[in-house]
Amino acid sequence: MKKSLLVALAAIVVIALLVAFYTISPPHEEGTVSLIQARGTGPMPILLGTGQIDAYIAWQPTPEVAPLAGIGKVLLYSGDLPPKGKWTNHPCCVFSARQDTIAEHPDLVNAMSALTILSTEYVRENPDKSAEIVADWLAGKGNFTFGDISVSSVEVLRQAFPTVKFVNEPTEKWIEGNIEFVHALRALGVLTDSLANTTDEETIAILFDTGPYSQAKAMIDSGTIITPAPVGKEIGIGYLNSDHDAALFVAVKNWQYFNDQYGIALKPVGATTSRPEKAELMVNGQKVADVRLIPGDAGPQLMQLASTNAIQMAYVGNPPVIAAVDKGTPVKILLAINTEGSGVVVSNESPATDWESFVEWANARSAAGKPLVIAAPGKGSIQDVMIRYSLKESGLSVSEG
Amino acid sequence: MLLPVLLIVGWEVAAYLIDNPFILPSLTTVIPILLHPFSDEFTLGTGSLVDNAAVSLFRVGSGFALAAFVAIPLGIVMGRSAILNDFLDTAIELLRPIPPLAWVPLALAWFKIGLASMVFIIFIGAFFPILLNTIDGVKSIKRTWVELAMTLGAREADILGKVILHGAAPTIWTGLRVGFGIAWMCVVAAEWLPGTTIGLGYLILYAYNFGQTNVIIAGMVMIGVIGIVIDQIFKAGERRWFSWRALER
Repeated sequence: MKKSLLVALAAIVVIALLVAFYTISPPHEEGTVSLIQARGTGPMPILLGTGQIDAYIAWQPTPEVAPLAGIGKVLLYSGDLPPKGKWTNHPCCVFSARQDTIAEHPDLVNAMSALTILSTEYVRENPDKSAEIVADWLAGKGNFTFGDISVSSVEVLRQAFPTVKFVNEPTEKWIEGNIEFVHALRALGVLTDSLANTTDEETIAILFDTGPYSQAKAMIDSGTIITPAPVGKEIGIGYLNSDHDAALFVAVKNWQYFNDQYGIALKPVGATTSRPEKAELMVNGQKVADVRLIPGDAGPQLMQLASTNAIQMAYVGNPPVIAAVDKGTPVKILLAINTEGSGVVVSNESPATDWESFVEWANARSAAGKPLVIAAPGKGSIQDVMIRYSLKESGLSVSEG
Repeated sequence: MLLPVLLIVGWEVAAYLIDNPFILPSLTTVIPILLHPFSDEFTLGTGSLVDNAAVSLFRVGSGFALAAFVAIPLGIVMGRSAILNDFLDTAIELLRPIPPLAWVPLALAWFKIGLASMVFIIFIGAFFPILLNTIDGVKSIKRTWVELAMTLGAREADILGKVILHGAAPTIWTGLRVGFGIAWMCVVAAEWLPGTTIGLGYLILYAYNFGQTNVIIAGMVMIGVIGIVIDQIFKAGERRWFSWRALER
């Protein structure tokens, strides 16, 4: 008697749970998109132009390439990705340095931080002039040619510039934004070692050293940059060929201005191309260090160089730094160099005009058995993390292409 | 001359029909770059095409010279000594099929950023053909030549200098020719290493970042043309110095 009552009760509970489950979250067909990793942004215009992908997300100026080449249109910029407000002022590239360099040459790191801050200020105040300098750095101010269309690189950069925010201060909100990326990278299974299970406070302590920023700012405010003791060996500084690194390009190309105005400069030496490979760090008229400027294809490559001490500092995206720190590379994030500055591009055939219609398009294609193919620059990159998050937020599931 | 003309015409027709500059850019966007080899207007800030070619030639020349410097003596010794040949042969056969591109991570770790790591990649490409041809050349020298020299009282040094080196020279030369061809092919892999902003290989990879297919093709044409010119120089040397081989039976 007691037993049959229990069975009946259990049956009722199970039925009730099933009913609740189906009424609260009715089963629905989830749309799918395929996400492929393009190894940097280089292949993206070619993939889109030959119809192999339907959309891509990339750092600037690659989003501007599509409309100029007539192969696609910019759907939206990264700050406007959903959910609304989530990615406004999202962290992007940072200035980072090896811990032993910070410990052994604190004045040098402070001086480089100060130059970065001064140069970023210049970029903010002189966007047109800076866009021209970046165009000179990236393309010798030459033209980009796509079939019959030939556009000046200066024009491309001027178009891309307003979509990048050039800021340095490691504010609380900015640090929080970085932590968002830590969470996202964890969810992607990228973080397996020292950052796999840390609390946010511990993560912040491991990742950041905002001392150089404060000291650089104090030097700038006081009007004098402290001359560091000369460094015997060559200092390697890694960077990416993106307008996110405008501060570095402007500091080198406009070295005379910074030298005259603030007594600090990265003076290029023996440059035969528009991207100098060597420079001298000058502070108050004194040579402090020989500097080698090393371009990387993408952040992970630069972090690998940092791990073997082949470079000591790098202007690089924050996820590669986070992933490298997790694997034991002794680097610290010192300050921001930009926020936002990426864009989503869709093919000309796409009916999408905003994120909502993009999601509709993705669902329609998925239902038709031909899921959209979207390219990102690499697993765990800023762009990869953001597009995954936004797609998931909009009820789309991602399959690895 | 007919084939190149046909190729160019065919290319242009195909480019017109395909109508997609990413698949096949019209030659009208490639030729202006090639017609201005001294201008840095078209090369995305890497200096002129000639500047790029000169830097690449210097790198490849260095790697090639180093490979010849190591491979020829080693090849002669291995060709002369069966014991040494047996000892080294397995290791060499193991390393030989590894493409230079696979060495890139180690090259960077061992030789750091800069010229040395690039020269190493090119060295790897040039080393094996020179070595194997040298060994082959030494081994295929007629025993009668060596025995004749010995009967006439020649010592090992004389045999090496006067018989072996001369006898093997045509085959070694072929090894150098093939070795340079492969070394030149390695220029893109070598210049893929960080630490440069100039060179034909670098130019091609850099242009790729901005979807500049026309610049990529111009770079490829330069590599091809320089490759042909150097190969012709090697062939001319062969005709001039080693025509005796055709007379020998």
